[in-house]
Amino acid sequence: MTAFLRPGALVALGAAVLAAPAPASAQTTLQLVEVITSPQRTEVVQKLVDQFEAANPGVTVEITSLPWGQAFEKLATMVQGGQIPDVVEMPDRWMALYANNKQLVDLGPYMESWANADQLNERTVEFGSVVNDTMYMVPYGFYLRAMFWNKKLFGEAGLDGSPETMDEFMEASKKISELGGGKAGYCLRGGPGGANGYIMMMLNMMGHDDYFDAAGNSNLNSPDAIKGLQFLIDLYQNGYAPRDSVNWGFNEIVAGFYSGTCAMLDQDPDALIAVKERMNPEDFAVAPMPLGPAGKSFPTIGYAGWSMFEASQHKDDAWQLIAHLSSPESNLEWSKFVGVIPIYQGAEQDPAFATEQYAGWFTELNDERWQPTSMPTYLEEFGYFADVIVVQTGQEALLGQRSAEDVANEWAEYLTAAQQKWRASRQ
Amino acid sequence: MAGQSAVAALRARGGGRPGRTARLFEFVLEPYYYLGPALILIALVMVLPLVVGLSYAFRDIRILAPVSGGFVGFDHFETLLFRDRVFWRSLGNTLWWTGGSLVFQFLLGLGLALLLNRQFGGRRLVQAVVFLPWAVPTFLSGLTFAWLFNPVIGPLPHWLAALGILSEPYNILGNPSIALWGPIVANVWFGIPFFAITLLAALQAIPRELYEAAAIDGANAWQRFTKVTLPFLAPMIAITVLLRTIWISNFADLVVVMTGGGPANATQILPSYIFTTAYRKLDFGYASAIATALLVLLFLYALILIRMRRALPSTT
Amino acid sequence: MSPQARLLAKDLALALGHRLAIALYMLFALFPLFWLIKISVTPDRLLFTEGIRLWPSEMTWANFSFVLLRSDFPAFFTNSVIVSLGTAIAVTLVAAAAGYAFSRFRFPGKYAVVFLLLLTQMFPLVMLIAPIYRLMAPLGLTDNLTGLIVVYTAFNVPFATFLMQSFFDGIPTDLEEAAMIDGCTRLSALRRVIFPLTLPGMAATLGFVFTAAWSELLFALMLINSEETMTFAVGLLTFVSKFSVDWGQMMAAGVLALIPACLFFAFIQRYLVQGLTAGALKG
Repeated sequence: MTAFLRPGALVALGAAVLAAPAPASAQTTLQLVEVITSPQRTEVVQKLVDQFEAANPGVTVEITSLPWGQAFEKLATMVQGGQIPDVVEMPDRWMALYANNKQLVDLGPYMESWANADQLNERTVEFGSVVNDTMYMVPYGFYLRAMFWNKKLFGEAGLDGSPETMDEFMEASKKISELGGGKAGYCLRGGPGGANGYIMMMLNMMGHDDYFDAAGNSNLNSPDAIKGLQFLIDLYQNGYAPRDSVNWGFNEIVAGFYSGTCAMLDQDPDALIAVKERMNPEDFAVAPMPLGPAGKSFPTIGYAGWSMFEASQHKDDAWQLIAHLSSPESNLEWSKFVGVIPIYQGAEQDPAFATEQYAGWFTELNDERWQPTSMPTYLEEFGYFADVIVVQTGQEALLGQRSAEDVANEWAEYLTAAQQKWRASRQ
Repeated sequence: MAGQSAVAALRARGGGRPGRTARLFEFVLEPYYYLGPALILIALVMVLPLVVGLSYAFRDIRILAPVSGGFVGFDHFETLLFRDRVFWRSLGNTLWWTGGSLVFQFLLGLGLALLLNRQFGGRRLVQAVVFLPWAVPTFLSGLTFAWLFNPVIGPLPHWLAALGILSEPYNILGNPSIALWGPIVANVWFGIPFFAITLLAALQAIPRELYEAAAIDGANAWQRFTKVTLPFLAPMIAITVLLRTIWISNFADLVVVMTGGGPANATQILPSYIFTTAYRKLDFGYASAIATALLVLLFLYALILIRMRRALPSTT
Repeated sequence: MSPQARLLAKDLALALGHRLAIALYMLFALFPLFWLIKISVTPDRLLFTEGIRLWPSEMTWANFSFVLLRSDFPAFFTNSVIVSLGTAIAVTLVAAAAGYAFSRFRFPGKYAVVFLLLLTQMFPLVMLIAPIYRLMAPLGLTDNLTGLIVVYTAFNVPFATFLMQSFFDGIPTDLEEAAMIDGCTRLSALRRVIFPLTLPGMAATLGFVFTAAWSELLFALMLINSEETMTFAVGLLTFVSKFSVDWGQMMAAGVLALIPACLFFAFIQRYLVQGLTAGALKG
């Protein structure tokens, strides 16, 4: 694709555009953009892509890897500037934004003629079509929150297991913080990405995961939800989470966990990779999230997958690429490597997932008391809500600058407005 | 053209007193020949996009939405000025950010320039070393300072606690009342070389005889500084302070990397707020309105500074 | 103490104070860089447990060997060098001409142009990305180094112009007027008489612009997509993934990146500290 942008070739490009479209058998180049990038992931993607190219002579795939920290703005810049890829790795939170702006292709028709479609587990199709009931993405795996806990610190505090309920969670945090020496119970994520934590606690206290009532008003300012927010505020203000955690993002909470600064961390299986490299396996384990007063827990589930841009000139070939990346073999290899729960039925039986460390997640998937919940990512405004509003106002609450009720009301107001807008657009 | 051939004739004669048309050429066209390349480049690559960018402030631009772009008049400004408490908070923070960064880096930079303005062993090495901070990408230096301020992995909180400045080692970046000082320190570290090198170059241009003459007249070090050094430095000081202020006011990197604008917007400055609005909310119209407000403020500032500068007596 | 001894003592004290102050500055400038180096030689597993120590208990060169031998960084460095040198030279030429114009001439529209140049600095660059991208894309200037050089040159010309103007202001006009009366055109007067005197100014400008282009991140990130064309600053970003930051490798790359900047600055330094020959007026 870069060759097309050199000045000299611009004339040739112009001529080609004016001429008749090229026949399908000529050399096609597809642009694949990955956004959750690491050198190791790129290697695996390259491998899968090589397999695809071998099976499809005449098609080459160029991979562009965006640095994750700037991927959102970089992709947006590319798209508005006309440099639109064919296939993109699409996180759940971005999907509504691109889909509602008519940038993505409805993959439903392609799915109908896809052999592997009926082997997908129901969650896959459900989450892929969360926006307007249209399949804008083929998910490649699911992120589910579970509680990492530091066995060593728990032992030192005289606790004999991970907390099962929210009360035990508060109690354990207290005991570990009392160990002193800068140790605290919970690796609170008060900074970027912290929305999941707040929402999980609020849902746990509510005992149900209806974000909105029948009239489309947000439930986040119901008294029980406010109790959930207050739970975290109390945790922080009592010193059961490190003082700096008010501004901690992903790197800080994980570093806090494996450096032994805080003993509990709620994260997805992909954090396991970072933690495993730096901690002894005997020192930590992963347990299901604590249960709320209603005896239930609602760990948040996220996902990412492959989408196709409407502007693609080679939609059929692009679909073949997506189909290949989402095939059972490719998906199993990818999900094992990346640390997500795979998309096919029965894939959890694979030995790689049967280890003690994955036990926490599989309990959550199989035991009825845990109900994995996805967040309202079908709302276009949700990305900004979660990334900016919740973080900033949540910090104000943690620091005691505002009351939990005040902040919860602001959240409810924002989400209600977004929900009403969404409902209106569906009329 | 008649004027041109007259000029050509003058030139052939080798200078001499220019006539009226030649003066026209000299005073109007000739400078623009020298300015030409700069003007064309800037007009195309900067002014044009700037005008487009400014126009966003009056439109509803969401960059991913193909059908946005409608004219909304002053709506954004209305929201900005009357309903956006984050804007006012950011404005206040920006004043602290710019003032704090500028004062320290200017004074320390001037000090360094004065120290470097004499021959001593190893001077070249010292000059190279003190310039290094300016050569480090701000993203990297932001991360390094964030690292240094983190009590788990950095020494600064522990040293500050040992010195009694902090009650106990904690990360100042997480404390809303002093968090902004973290990026300010990083900015001072980054900006000292800028002032040091430019002021040093200006200091080098001051003729030595003036100092000798002043010393002969009985001036002491302070008087030599205020009567000889400062007036000669004034033009360079004016331009570097002006430019650096404008740059700092628009400089979001360190804040974004070190604190993300938090906690609770305690370190949110206008440029980081603009960035968040443009690239997280994808609302380019509103972001441009904020940027326009900042531009107006900076323009007024530049106007005042340049007027002041022109009012002061010149040394040449 | 005799008066001579007292003077000597005073001189010694001043010299000592001078050296001490310089040492403090060097310490301040070097400390974060020292920490950068320290992180780059710390093995991964000791990074967080030994974070506060002044030097790790075990050193490793693995990060440097990774950056130099097994990553794309050598290519990134080359790209950065090309872009920075190209920009530095282009800016110095353009800004010298423009700065000369500001210094020597009074002409209608002068202050308008000055304000225009200042204006371009007052709008945040993040807002200019979208329009510039749309301008550059049809011209074929995205995703290649030439486009970057064009953009960087435009950004740096205002500052460089003012800098060069200051330097020209320090050179009396008598010199070129004398040369012009002697029969030179303005341009050849510039070349023969003024140019040697502006070397410190040009050196300073080259130095600043080189480092500005060297460490620029935003436009390098947004305008360049393909890995072959990336500059090293963008390369640093690739060490930050969603799940971990490869601190050791990132700092190693950062340390290595300082070397060319250092070398370049050391090279132009020679011209920077040359005093202007005030004697030119005496002859």
